[in-house]
Amino acid sequence: MDDREREPKVVSSEFMHPDTGTVPPPPELLDLADGAVNTNVAIASTPEEAQKAVKSPTPLQDSLRRLRRDTRAMISLGVIILFVLVAIFGPFIYQRIGSNYQSEQYGTVPVSVYHSFSHQELIRQDEGPSGQYWLGTDDLGRDIFARLMQGMLISILVAIVVEIIDVILGMTVGVLAGYFGGWIDQFLARFTDLMFAFPGLLFAILLTGVIGPSSDDALAKIPFIGANGNGRLLLVSIALSFTIWPLMARYVRGQTLQLKEQQFIEAARTSGTSGIGIIFRHIIPNLFSIVVIAATLNISNTIIGEAGISLLGLGVKPPGSSLGLMISDGTPLIDTHPWEIIVPTAVLAIIVVAFSFLGDGLRDAFDPRSKD
Amino acid sequence: MVQFFVKRLIGLIFVIIGVTFITFILGYLAPGDPIRQQMGDHFDLQTWMQLRHAYGLDLPWYQQYYNFLTHLVKFNFGLSFKYQNRAVWDILKDGVPVSAELGFWGLMIELLLGIPVGIYSALKANTWLDTTSMGISLIIYALPPFVIAIIAQVIIVSLDKQTGGSWPASSWGTPWQYSWSDLQPKIVPILVFGAAGFAYFARITRTTMLEVLRQDYVRTARAKGLQERVVIYRHALRNAMIPLVTLIGLALGFLVAGSFFIEQIFNIPGIGRISLQSIYDHDFPVIQATVVLLAAGVVLGNLISDVLYSIVDPRIKSE
Repeated sequence: MDDREREPKVVSSEFMHPDTGTVPPPPELLDLADGAVNTNVAIASTPEEAQKAVKSPTPLQDSLRRLRRDTRAMISLGVIILFVLVAIFGPFIYQRIGSNYQSEQYGTVPVSVYHSFSHQELIRQDEGPSGQYWLGTDDLGRDIFARLMQGMLISILVAIVVEIIDVILGMTVGVLAGYFGGWIDQFLARFTDLMFAFPGLLFAILLTGVIGPSSDDALAKIPFIGANGNGRLLLVSIALSFTIWPLMARYVRGQTLQLKEQQFIEAARTSGTSGIGIIFRHIIPNLFSIVVIAATLNISNTIIGEAGISLLGLGVKPPGSSLGLMISDGTPLIDTHPWEIIVPTAVLAIIVVAFSFLGDGLRDAFDPRSKD
Repeated sequence: MVQFFVKRLIGLIFVIIGVTFITFILGYLAPGDPIRQQMGDHFDLQTWMQLRHAYGLDLPWYQQYYNFLTHLVKFNFGLSFKYQNRAVWDILKDGVPVSAELGFWGLMIELLLGIPVGIYSALKANTWLDTTSMGISLIIYALPPFVIAIIAQVIIVSLDKQTGGSWPASSWGTPWQYSWSDLQPKIVPILVFGAAGFAYFARITRTTMLEVLRQDYVRTARAKGLQERVVIYRHALRNAMIPLVTLIGLALGFLVAGSFFIEQIFNIPGIGRISLQSIYDHDFPVIQATVVLLAAGVVLGNLISDVLYSIVDPRIKSE
């Protein structure tokens, strides 16, 4: 019931609780936070409905059909898929298009080199788009298009890592807190209050800023994930997940609390299913929609977070690339070559808006009542 | 009622202790010896010991934390590592009025622009006016503040170039002074600063207002034959305001997080930029002080909105 208090609706006093959390969820999740149970997922309440259910599509298919009809969400999904494909496969293709280039600086430079994100042609600075450099070059003569694709890849990687941690931690703690209550519930409530007192990215900025420089070496020793100078990226991801997971845990907790009161859970309990059995067989499957929606909306915050931290110079280090780093590189050139700041800013804006539109669409599709 | 505030206060104390502990322990565990770094090539053991003692770094951690807390209560943030013998407060004090001014006007933009736009949208629900204003606020809300800031800067710079004008794209005037030359650089950052919250308030106000307009008492008021103006402003709006009050705390959180980016991008000498600089410099006393100040601001904002809420909505007393 925690979030009832902040609900931007006419609040009824029966939901008031004096010692509830201090911070409301973001508006896009208000409907979720109130733990609106997707009753259509599991039960058909009347015999007629049950009969119809034999032929009619499953609730999941039903939701997907609603989602497909949502033009805005589908366009956003298309944009996201396009960007992901470009980020993953783009560099391989781009590094094969073009011919060798006679550089005054390095002699013959193969296309796979000058189309890579870290190669500098110091005499080809700040060029506009051309056949050789599709989106031009930056102030160090690096290919903007190649850097852009690398930056998008970084955004996607960070988003994936953060969401994995977010879903695992948030679901575990949320389900346990909601189902068993007790000290774990108390812990969650206090911890959430604490994390919300660090406004926005403050905690992540603090963590990366303070232990970033010294943790680079340590994290780089982790095989594969930490390799190629990605150690800092790992730290950024951990810091971001740390700030994000309590929110997920709260949504899951709210939903679990509501599910617990449902009759099918009661039936399972009376027929002797253990607590663990109920959690795995009945609760977790019914958390699917809330977790997917919350995760999608969180992705946009995560991407903003990584870009923001890199923008402040605390995330990805050169010669690596990130959308935030490209924006920060372009800032001093805003007078003379605004192109170099406009490109990464526009791409970041499109990705972020697409994810939040998709999240909104998913919410509307999975929980029709939330539509206003 | 009293019980409610006591419980809230206990919760707040817990949060403040948690925040101070996390910021303290991060600084404590951070690798590297700040004194050694500060001394650079002029290292000698005697001075090192003396300085360590002066900063209290030779004490065990719980003692250090205790000192940190007790000094904090007296509003003493200690000495800076980077600028020797300079009190942390001395470094911060010029930033406070700047950030406060930015935050104040940002909040004003959010409330004085966001709420009317929301009301107007609700009254004109589903007309083109409503769809456009809500569409715009949806996009503004989705965008991070630094992206909006950069878009604004690009626009200023290109306008300057075209008209030959010299509207400043960054910097700040004297805080709380409003002559034209002071005001000019402030307008755009304040607008950008308030943008996200504006969109948020506009959307929430619209939803709340629509909800209230559907209530029975509004229908009753209309059926009584009251003027539409009275129905909307006296009956609907007052009730729609109640849940909005609780969101002011959230708006403060927005502002504090945004201040880092806005101040950095627009080159504004406020708390956000000072604390970023101290993060780059590894000047822990300054970092700790700014984090505690900012977190205290957010927590205080939440407390104020709780108090306001219980004043506006008498039903909460029944708990």
